[in-house]
Amino acid sequence: MLSLRYKADTSIPVEVEGLTPSAVRNMSLAEIQRFEIFHGNRKVPLAEFFDVSGDPADARFEFEGNLAGVHWIGAHMAEGEIHVRGDAGRHVGSEMTGGVIHVHGNASDWVGGEMHGGLIHVHGNAGHLIGSAYRGSQTGMTAGTILIDGSVGNEVGLTLRRGLLAIGGGCGDFVGANMIAGTVLVFGPCGNRPAAGMRRGTVGLLGENPPALLVSFRKSCVCQPLFLLLIFRHLQSLGFAVPRECWSANYRLYHGDHVAVGRGEVLIREREAG
Amino acid sequence: MSSGFLKIAGGTVYDPAHGVNGERRDIWIREGKIVDPPSDPEVRPERTVDAADLVVMPGGVDMHCHIAGPKVNSARKMRPEQKRKAEKVMRTPSTRSGTMGSVPSTFATGYKYAGMGYTTAFDAAIPPLAARHVHEEFEDTPCIDKGFFVLMGNNHFVMQSIQRNEPERLRSFIAWLLGAAKGFTPKIVNPGGVEIWKQLPSGNVHGLDENVAHFGVTPRQIVEQVAHAVDSLRLPHSVHIHANNLGMPGNWRTTLETMKTLGDSRGHLSHIQFHSYGGGEADENTFNSKAAELVEYVDAHPNLTVDVGQVLFGETTTMTADGPLGYYLSNAFKSKWFSSDTEMESGCGIAPIEYKNTSLVHSLQWAIGLEWYLLAKDPWRVVMSTDHPNGGSFLAYPQIIQLLMDRTYREEMLKDVHPAVLERSRLGDLTREYSLYEICIITRSGPARILGLKNKGHLGPGADADITIYTPNDDKTKMFELPRMVIKSGVVIVEQGEIREPLTGKLLYVAPEYDASIETDISEWFEKYYSIRFRNYPVSLDYLHDPEEVSCA
Repeated sequence: MLSLRYKADTSIPVEVEGLTPSAVRNMSLAEIQRFEIFHGNRKVPLAEFFDVSGDPADARFEFEGNLAGVHWIGAHMAEGEIHVRGDAGRHVGSEMTGGVIHVHGNASDWVGGEMHGGLIHVHGNAGHLIGSAYRGSQTGMTAGTILIDGSVGNEVGLTLRRGLLAIGGGCGDFVGANMIAGTVLVFGPCGNRPAAGMRRGTVGLLGENPPALLVSFRKSCVCQPLFLLLIFRHLQSLGFAVPRECWSANYRLYHGDHVAVGRGEVLIREREAG
Repeated sequence: MSSGFLKIAGGTVYDPAHGVNGERRDIWIREGKIVDPPSDPEVRPERTVDAADLVVMPGGVDMHCHIAGPKVNSARKMRPEQKRKAEKVMRTPSTRSGTMGSVPSTFATGYKYAGMGYTTAFDAAIPPLAARHVHEEFEDTPCIDKGFFVLMGNNHFVMQSIQRNEPERLRSFIAWLLGAAKGFTPKIVNPGGVEIWKQLPSGNVHGLDENVAHFGVTPRQIVEQVAHAVDSLRLPHSVHIHANNLGMPGNWRTTLETMKTLGDSRGHLSHIQFHSYGGGEADENTFNSKAAELVEYVDAHPNLTVDVGQVLFGETTTMTADGPLGYYLSNAFKSKWFSSDTEMESGCGIAPIEYKNTSLVHSLQWAIGLEWYLLAKDPWRVVMSTDHPNGGSFLAYPQIIQLLMDRTYREEMLKDVHPAVLERSRLGDLTREYSLYEICIITRSGPARILGLKNKGHLGPGADADITIYTPNDDKTKMFELPRMVIKSGVVIVEQGEIREPLTGKLLYVAPEYDASIETDISEWFEKYYSIRFRNYPVSLDYLHDPEEVSCA
């Protein structure tokens, strides 16, 4: 295990793009200490901001400290495991293709931006644009799983192409906007205009007081979809808590968004009778 | 004492304008110009470039590309996803950083043109309202000499003058507008069609004799009269025409009619590949090549010139003043779309697209471009272009050169495109291979002559010392994408792909004479209709960097 203890105190962004388990796996500690990262627009060796110790051979990183100003942790990673003991900055696991990232704290915006595989589990809250397409892209996240135990901001799952996003707390506006396919489940309260412009895929609004859907969604039926229970079981196996009331609830199914292809589905949990 | 001479010694020189076909020669340069060798044999050059075993040509001239102005900037902003993943142009002590993708940033555009041995480029579609900004942008596009064509085919004043049958007023207006914008020649894009597009939902014209509502003129009249005015102003270049019905099956008839309409007037038909299609009305299944028929007409009419607008497979961004075309492409490719209406002057459409060799239509477009080069008898009147970035990037020129010079390479590529190309075009039967001499014509000497640039495209005394030196290689792509040395205005600006001296480059413009009394008329028009005051519109000479007037002989 490679231990990376963040020792700096700077208000200027620190970017560790490229520092992935496979990139440093065969390096000596001294080489890793010289690994170039960015402090603002200045290149600096990793050791200037981190105490580096341990052994990188097992492709496991342990970040420690307040890394809220450290961005691109685990971006582009293809294998291995990263644990962040504390808060993390923006773009955690961006464009990653495999491996596992756990943030044992809060993460900022763009967690799993255009992700292509692997698992990210944020045990606290996260910011905006989780699992979303970067600006201008025709497709966003194409595979993988993102679990956020807490709450998130706006535009989560923007232009999602495939993969699973589960939000334990609440989310902001435009969740699942412009979705092409894939699944987004929100277990807490949800902001305005969910699933706007979705073409295909599934958005589940499973919390209390879901917002009104756009007029371009049509109600289909009330049901208890089996696949939802399978997803819940899968989430539980990953250590994500699924509230008890979700298991036996009825769900109202809507189709839309009819301003786009209109083959997406939105599931809204009905409140239990009585 | 310094002699001030630079000598390029012993290179294999290609200078088609003087009939020099691969002869071993010395070239002497002084004060940015090519000069006669000094009469005094004692004079020693300040620097000698040993060009033994190297190929020496004039610097490349791109006569039709899109590298500046509002449409290019909108396209740059529209493609962050492409720029993010593209090659990065890093800052060096002498050069600025930049971004690539299908629409490179300004500095990158200049560096990349120069790195490929091109020293002059003309933007083909500038709304005169944006001229001031284009000049600013050109100043940030280093290494190459620049100029632009001024959009006039849907200009309200132009159409009104034609409607009133006042050729004198039209001629004066064109002259004034070119002078005000500091442009090079009128460009007409889908004449009349863009105006209808601006008037009606999905509006366009589909033939040369349709009426342009409100103005009561036809596309044919616009072509005819603007071409006539350009000739009578004796502009160095002819009118530059993007004909109606670009990209539509069966459009070759419109193209042929446009050529006939020109009569004896000079006319340059741009990206002719996009205008050489047979087939039924909007029916892609009947799509085929009519390049041969059009080539025959152009061969027989020396007043006509063309640039090809070659398509290359891959992703790119289309940008055009042809508003309805931009809408058509965005629908066809289900891509992003930008559209704009430039007041009294023009329109604009932008859409990202991808040319695929699995598509019959795209494969045919690729083949038709090559047919134009290979069928045309007179290389002096067929110019290499990709209509950058519409058919592909200007960075594809080396690949096109290889396609023309290397038949085996071409046949290999032909195997990978849609098989029906062999039935619907003649490309499979064409065995011609271009020589270096002919390549030199279609990439520099020809376009320079067509543009009326007496100091470009040749290596005779008096020419601008814009020279590219290549290392010969059987792989023509390699040879042409990485010149050994590029000299611009007598200064070595690139060595083996690295920028040495990023000169700013000149701005080439025309200043035709006109009857000044027209200004009263134009100023009234401006005060009535324009969003900008008349006195703020013209770009004055002192606003330009390194301007050079090209005279109207």
